[in-house]
Amino acid sequence: MSAVAAKPAAGGAMNPAAMGVGIVLLILIIGVCYYISPGLGLMSLIGIIIGGILIGFGVHFVPVGGAPAAMGQAPGIATGVAMLAAGGGLAGLFGGAWAADQGLVVAVVTGGVGGGLMMAITCMMVNFIYVFGMGIPAASGKVKNDPITGDSQAEFKSQGTEGHGLPFVSFVGGVIGGLLAGAGGTLIYLMLLDLYKATLPTLMQATEVQILPIAVSAAGIFAVGMFLVNAVLTAYNITGTIEGPHDPKFKRWPRSIVASAVASALCGLVAILIVV
Amino acid sequence: MTVKVEVIEGGVPHNQILATGLIASLICLYLSYLNVITGTMWFSFFGGLAVVAALYWGSHTIKVLCSYGIGTGVPSAGMISFGSGVIAMLLATKYNIAAPIVALVLAAVIGLILGYLANEVLNMKIPAMLQALTELAIVGAFTLMGFAVLITGSFTFTALTTGTVTILGLSLPSYQASFIGGCLIAVAFLLGAIAIQHPFNACLGPGWTQDRMLMLTAECGFLSMIMAAVMSFALIPFGPALISLLIAIIGWAYTYSKYFELSKRDAAAWLDAKPIPDVEVQ
Amino acid sequence: MENIVFGIGITALTGALATVAGAAEDTESNIGSQGDPNSQVQLAPQMGFLHRIFNKAVAGEPPAYGLWCCLGAGLAWAFMAMQINAVLAIVLGCILAVFVQGVYATTAYLGRTASLKKFGQPVYVDILKSMTTVTMAHAFVAIFCTVTLCYLMNAALGHPFPLPLLGLVWGISLGAAGSAVGNPYYGKERQYQNQKFGAGVPISASGNIVRYAEAGERNSLDNGFFTAKLGGPASGVCFGLIVFLELWRTILFEKIAAGWGAIIVGLLMILVFTIIDRYIEVWARKTYGPYTKPEEASS
Repeated sequence: MSAVAAKPAAGGAMNPAAMGVGIVLLILIIGVCYYISPGLGLMSLIGIIIGGILIGFGVHFVPVGGAPAAMGQAPGIATGVAMLAAGGGLAGLFGGAWAADQGLVVAVVTGGVGGGLMMAITCMMVNFIYVFGMGIPAASGKVKNDPITGDSQAEFKSQGTEGHGLPFVSFVGGVIGGLLAGAGGTLIYLMLLDLYKATLPTLMQATEVQILPIAVSAAGIFAVGMFLVNAVLTAYNITGTIEGPHDPKFKRWPRSIVASAVASALCGLVAILIVV
Repeated sequence: MTVKVEVIEGGVPHNQILATGLIASLICLYLSYLNVITGTMWFSFFGGLAVVAALYWGSHTIKVLCSYGIGTGVPSAGMISFGSGVIAMLLATKYNIAAPIVALVLAAVIGLILGYLANEVLNMKIPAMLQALTELAIVGAFTLMGFAVLITGSFTFTALTTGTVTILGLSLPSYQASFIGGCLIAVAFLLGAIAIQHPFNACLGPGWTQDRMLMLTAECGFLSMIMAAVMSFALIPFGPALISLLIAIIGWAYTYSKYFELSKRDAAAWLDAKPIPDVEVQ
Repeated sequence: MENIVFGIGITALTGALATVAGAAEDTESNIGSQGDPNSQVQLAPQMGFLHRIFNKAVAGEPPAYGLWCCLGAGLAWAFMAMQINAVLAIVLGCILAVFVQGVYATTAYLGRTASLKKFGQPVYVDILKSMTTVTMAHAFVAIFCTVTLCYLMNAALGHPFPLPLLGLVWGISLGAAGSAVGNPYYGKERQYQNQKFGAGVPISASGNIVRYAEAGERNSLDNGFFTAKLGGPASGVCFGLIVFLELWRTILFEKIAAGWGAIIVGLLMILVFTIIDRYIEVWARKTYGPYTKPEEASS
């Protein structure tokens, strides 16, 4: 990914009028779904919206440093935020899809745990490389003391940099982000899978066992697509890099909730319209 | 310090490229409908040409959007394009012959709303964002539809979800051996998402020239078409798949060699096994 | 019981494949110079530091590897649908995917370097010829291992996702894990080897990457040789742990407590890794000590 010049921070402010329009759109879309398919379709849509919100909110927690992090100039992981979150969330989706037979709650939590585990291992190995491979301790540039452990940060920041590595709060943020993103992606997948399993047999004049590959694949690719849309919207919200939940940019999350909700509702409605 | 991206100007205006790409892609998609009229698969290759046309348009849209420095890098734009496009495309396939037009309208609506969310709710306030995201969603939908046509011969929901599987010499209908059932749509998704953002990403820099980027777009399109044509051997008869493959290979070879020529034209120097030139450190 | 033993055997195999894939992926992305460290390769000529490093600007590693692995898996699926033997299908699919990867690499190098005409950075055709095949070779190892482990998950362990979708999922995860762990090692340690060890690169030094090194003018093979010693294996261990532990906890514990067994084991594993990470962090603070005295330091 190329390092593109960051836009000047018009980004921080909330736009109440636009948020209002967003919420109105959301209600409209839910209304349309209620009109078209009050039972199964509406339940799926609500699930998809919640899943989208989980993804959008969860991605805020993931510590991403971008290009400067690759040189030890900024804390966080040196990968793009949308794709790192996608990596964690999809690893979670993998686990959640496998547990689909065991019920909604178990599958969603499994998906979350899968995503959280992937992020935990990755974050731990990032610190491993920084400490044992490069001799650099972790330090944050945005706070004086780590909010969770109380460790002071300033004297462990090397000169001329904004910090480096993953301080403990960033690690925890990464794990929480993986948990939420994995759970959200799995929820979207399961909602669509159940909907397709229930409606495709009549639509395609076949048995449920026969159309199962179609249902799984369609639900899977929709989940991936919606995952990426939500992750990219969140990446736009934080303008590319964030240190974790302690970063001031984290306060922008309300905008992302509205944006993710509307985007997921819209995409979910279209996905539901295929079978209704 | 990060790489500076200057707003790059020059060349054919964007709206002209938009019009050319949109119309060419639509025409190619509808030409492939000749498959249904003639009851054969010989016109599947038009799907691949639709892909090239749509990518040609889409890569220039990405150039317009990312020239403003959105802060997240170019590949994200490709991902959001196809994330929204896949959803529009799958619903549109239910409308048989009207599918491309439905995809156009539906993707435009989705893209418009996403653009509004990004610009207003997320406060990005980029002038080109609304139009760019709308265009990108349409490009995503058309590219996926083009791939679907290339691999299965048609863009209707039934064709995309049914295939045949040969067991002991008998051909049986199977949902698993199909474009959606086997999730080849995932391959099309990623092929397109990388192909749409690669031309601008690869030609990024102060010396960006439009014709070089567009030649690279065509090359990426034909390369993706080669791979999709190879996959189509599993789902359409040998002859039509071979035609797609040959057209794709010829198209790729031509655009790839032309791209080399254009790069040679544009580069500061074209050296073979020479040392780093001496330049004053600024 | 036999089922579990078979499952554990497959899990061990996929874990090993994932480790190899992670190591090969990181080495390949370092030889090609892909991802976030590549911004420095792009920046250096603009600051007057011309170089002979391969500038492979093909998106980031997660989407790129998502594509190569998904493409390899999709092609393998298509070949298997044509009744070709599974092993041959996977090999053929990966060969074609690697071909695409190589073409993308060359076009990226040419495109980025030609656009740097203003700063006098030449296109080195010999770099194009010698680096491309090496990155393709490493990529083949990574892609083949990933597609094989996806096939094992689908065919032997019975995961519901079809092969191409698994390729997408694990390709993106491979890229994310390999990029997260391997990029800082390549970026800070090797690209900026001339900076002081044990500290991040100061912002004032941006662009001043090492261009003359052990054997005359440095090229990307030198970078790959270095990072393959620690960055590569670390990325491999990371991805290998991810795949192995995910499968292990599911195979062994999913039947216990109606699925909650696997969840509890997963949470315990997260706890273990948190403790390990905290230990590493505290060890570094104690052993390396601060850069400056706490009172003098500015936030």
